Amino acid sequence: MIDWRAVVIREARATGAADLDDHTVEELATHLEDLYQAARARGAVDAEARDEALRALRESRLAMLKESRPNLHRTRGLTRVSTWQSLRSGLRQFRTHRGFALLAVLVLGLGTGASAVVYTLVDGVVLRPLPYGEPDRLVSLWDTNVQRAVTHEPLSPVNFMDYRALPVFTDAAAWWRPDVNLTDPGLDPVRVRAIETGANLFEVLRVRPQIGPGFPVGGPHFSGDLIAVISDRLWRTRYGANPGVIGRPLVFSGASYTIVGVMPPRFDFPGEIDVWQRSRWDFHQHSRGAHFMEAVARLAPGVSAEQAATALTTLTARLEKDFPSTNRAWGTRLVPLLDEQLGYYRPALIVLFGAVGLLMVISCLNVASLLLTRALSREREMAVRTALGASPWHLVAQLLAEGTVLSLAGAAVGLVAATFALPVIVAHTPVPIPRLDEAAINTRVLGFIFASAMVTTLVFGLVPALATVRRTLTTDLKSGDRAVSRASRTLYHALVAGEVALAGALLVLSILLVRTVQQMTEVPTGVGNPAVTTASVQLSGRPATDWAGVAADHGAILDRLRQQPGVRRAGASNFLPLEAGWRGSFGIEGQPAARESEAPQAQHFSVSDGYFESIGARLVAGRTFTERDTATSTPVVVVNELFARRYLAAGQATTAVLTTRMTQVGPLGRNLAGGRFEVVGVVADVKNMPLGQANEPAVFFDARQFPFRTMFLTVEAADAPAALAALRETLRAVAPGIPLTDAQTWDQRFRARTAEPRMLMTVLLFFGVLAAILATLGVYGLFSWMVALRRRELAIRVTLGARPRTIGILVLRHGALLAAAGLAVGWILVRASEGALSRVLFSVSAGDVGALAAAGVLLLAACLGACVPAAIRAMRVSPVEGLRAE
Amino acid sequence: MSPRTAIDEAKKGSAEILILALVERRALHGYEIGRQIEDQSAGTLRFTLASLYATLYRMEDRGWLRSRWVEKPGQRRRCHYRITDEGRKILAAQRADWSRFIAALGLVAGVKPA
Repeated sequence: MIDWRAVVIREARATGAADLDDHTVEELATHLEDLYQAARARGAVDAEARDEALRALRESRLAMLKESRPNLHRTRGLTRVSTWQSLRSGLRQFRTHRGFALLAVLVLGLGTGASAVVYTLVDGVVLRPLPYGEPDRLVSLWDTNVQRAVTHEPLSPVNFMDYRALPVFTDAAAWWRPDVNLTDPGLDPVRVRAIETGANLFEVLRVRPQIGPGFPVGGPHFSGDLIAVISDRLWRTRYGANPGVIGRPLVFSGASYTIVGVMPPRFDFPGEIDVWQRSRWDFHQHSRGAHFMEAVARLAPGVSAEQAATALTTLTARLEKDFPSTNRAWGTRLVPLLDEQLGYYRPALIVLFGAVGLLMVISCLNVASLLLTRALSREREMAVRTALGASPWHLVAQLLAEGTVLSLAGAAVGLVAATFALPVIVAHTPVPIPRLDEAAINTRVLGFIFASAMVTTLVFGLVPALATVRRTLTTDLKSGDRAVSRASRTLYHALVAGEVALAGALLVLSILLVRTVQQMTEVPTGVGNPAVTTASVQLSGRPATDWAGVAADHGAILDRLRQQPGVRRAGASNFLPLEAGWRGSFGIEGQPAARESEAPQAQHFSVSDGYFESIGARLVAGRTFTERDTATSTPVVVVNELFARRYLAAGQATTAVLTTRMTQVGPLGRNLAGGRFEVVGVVADVKNMPLGQANEPAVFFDARQFPFRTMFLTVEAADAPAALAALRETLRAVAPGIPLTDAQTWDQRFRARTAEPRMLMTVLLFFGVLAAILATLGVYGLFSWMVALRRRELAIRVTLGARPRTIGILVLRHGALLAAAGLAVGWILVRASEGALSRVLFSVSAGDVGALAAAGVLLLAACLGACVPAAIRAMRVSPVEGLRAE
Repeated sequence: MSPRTAIDEAKKGSAEILILALVERRALHGYEIGRQIEDQSAGTLRFTLASLYATLYRMEDRGWLRSRWVEKPGQRRRCHYRITDEGRKILAAQRADWSRFIAALGLVAGVKPA
């Protein structure tokens, strides 16, 4: 058989038309073959037929073809391939390679679905504006104290009135949170979340009630005329959405208010509030030292947050000078309202978004490397296509079409997955993320998915295209050359190394969160009995000033509780651990009296006998409270270890006498002015600040001598259900009108404190493991491919005396290098995002070496594990293979 | 101008209408086109390989033809040329031109269709 192609090429070279393109060569060769066959059919012998065909070739001026053909493709190459044809061809490709297509679409769907869900959450929770007028002009105000290293303290109402008067604010509103028992005649008593607020709150937010006039616009700020606004939630659940509720009197904690409005649905400010009571007292008539108010302010037009902050700093500096006893070291800070409402969730969601972005990129790289190996194995197909007249652009269009098919299918799978997963995730989130229930897949989310599909299409089309096109341009169709260009090899390595690097970053990130949660859980709280059940009880029906009556009621509840079956110990405190008590100044008899302005400060608690025992707090010296400490016996206090260390001389722990100058301890407290209290004991520090902040000195008063209406009961019983039953039974018997709220074991409460980072940790761990699996798959693919490609080289090495072990180590070392390089890049990524990370980490820095080491060990193990099958195959290469191939 | 040269000049000008007319009914590959021109003109019209394919490529470039590779079992791949809509318009126009031209030749030079 005659190789007519070779004949044509030879002739072309001989006549100065050397570089005829493949299309022309193929067509001429076919023509010659036909001429030859026709001659043979007429009865010519082989030589005659061949001469006839050759004559036809030689009488042609081949050079004229050289000019005509390239023009065709330069000008029409792209338009010659219709998009639809390419897409159909792409679909056909995947129909014949189902396994490949399924894997690629699943990996992509996973990436797209996860990022669509996270984007939906970010969009719904972080990006959407708050439902108030010009919400970006609203800021929260918080007091700071450099001496105590606190940055998020409530304000004093008197100081607040000074802040409010600053011209940088259009207006500002403040409130505090007295929990109220709602006792309407004819309805079950219920404890509702309420705030007592300045009447201008809704004006500051620019929100109107859906029903009723609301608080009178323009004032008064406070009034003895008791009015309240209720939430849409309360209106529907308790009053059956009856519009006639306006003007109806309601009994909140014993006082009768008139309902003047119902807020719109989903109006939750600040937090899930059901009752907004207009303040009944003047914010000026209080102490500058009592910090219990929260506030929101609206920036005046044209004033930036920085300018407002500067004005506040100037003001607080002046207040510090004018009122040193109460305002020393205190400052004020502005926080944009959205940041404030989202708290931990804003940085957490942003970190999560970054993490899911990494995951998305990993899944893309994974699919891109799959496509690349396929492209490399399709080099002959591409060479044929080129031979048939396909231009490089034609091939790129083809690969882009295949990429489009894949990424659109992946996006569709992702969208469907996100649609189904989102409601499940929203319903089962263990933490109350603000605005989460309103997160929904909308046009922005669809746009996001579409945009990411476009990007992945480009990556998928272009990565293999770059490798293939470059290669086919130089490939001889017939050479059968199986070597793969250096560029393709580098590209493949880079893709897998990228996967490993991003997986490394995700692993480091998730381990940082594991360490965060670990650190949080290991913080000593001073609570030795995590199984203790705690519940809040608020007495109503007695005025706050009837402290003897309040004390008697609590005493009766505790007595009854202790008689319940299974109850071992019971006590009460006005604050639970991890919460700060009322701060106030004190003196110690025998020590030089400090000036009023320089008196030391400590947190003040009111606890009953049995409280320390029930929570398992350790007694360091002296005694705790007993039944013998009553309203009429010697006033006594217990202090914490920090207080004793800081303020009491050695041996003074149970002999010192503490004096207090506080004239009012909180709105519900008893007036302690002039009191003398003997220190009778010291207990080990019980954490009285949020996690991550230092403890403060604390003074514990006896609940009978310093009663509060709202107390937390603490019960140690055989188990939690027994404790709960005991609490219910007790309240039913002693105080039937008082609801039991918020009953949880301490362990549950503590877990709730760490729930947010715990959830972030869970999600990140999930992403990290997923990323590691994808990267491991990528490494596995790369090494299997490399070993298959290098079989001959390895066989020759074996022939030359290399031992299988050496070859195995060669492969594994390569894997280890890849892991190390990936980890290094991953770590750099994590360090680069340190700013965002610091807001979700606790007692761990982004540069934590332990986390890096743990991620390194994991990644190295996964990479090496993925290399092992390839290494084993490499070790089993027979020396004969080196010969067989040629 | 020798009689031979006159035919060659006419061939150059008529190549396109010949090819368009041949592929008007069905797509043909290059060898078939060359073969049919030669057979149907009883050997009077014959193109060299280079001029045939150069013409085909030029016509494809102008959008009068579209080529497609067709693969049949047991045979070499062949590139088939089919006429486009644009090609049909050109064919109609050229037919009209040539009719007028031949009529003119008949009137003036006494040339008659064979």
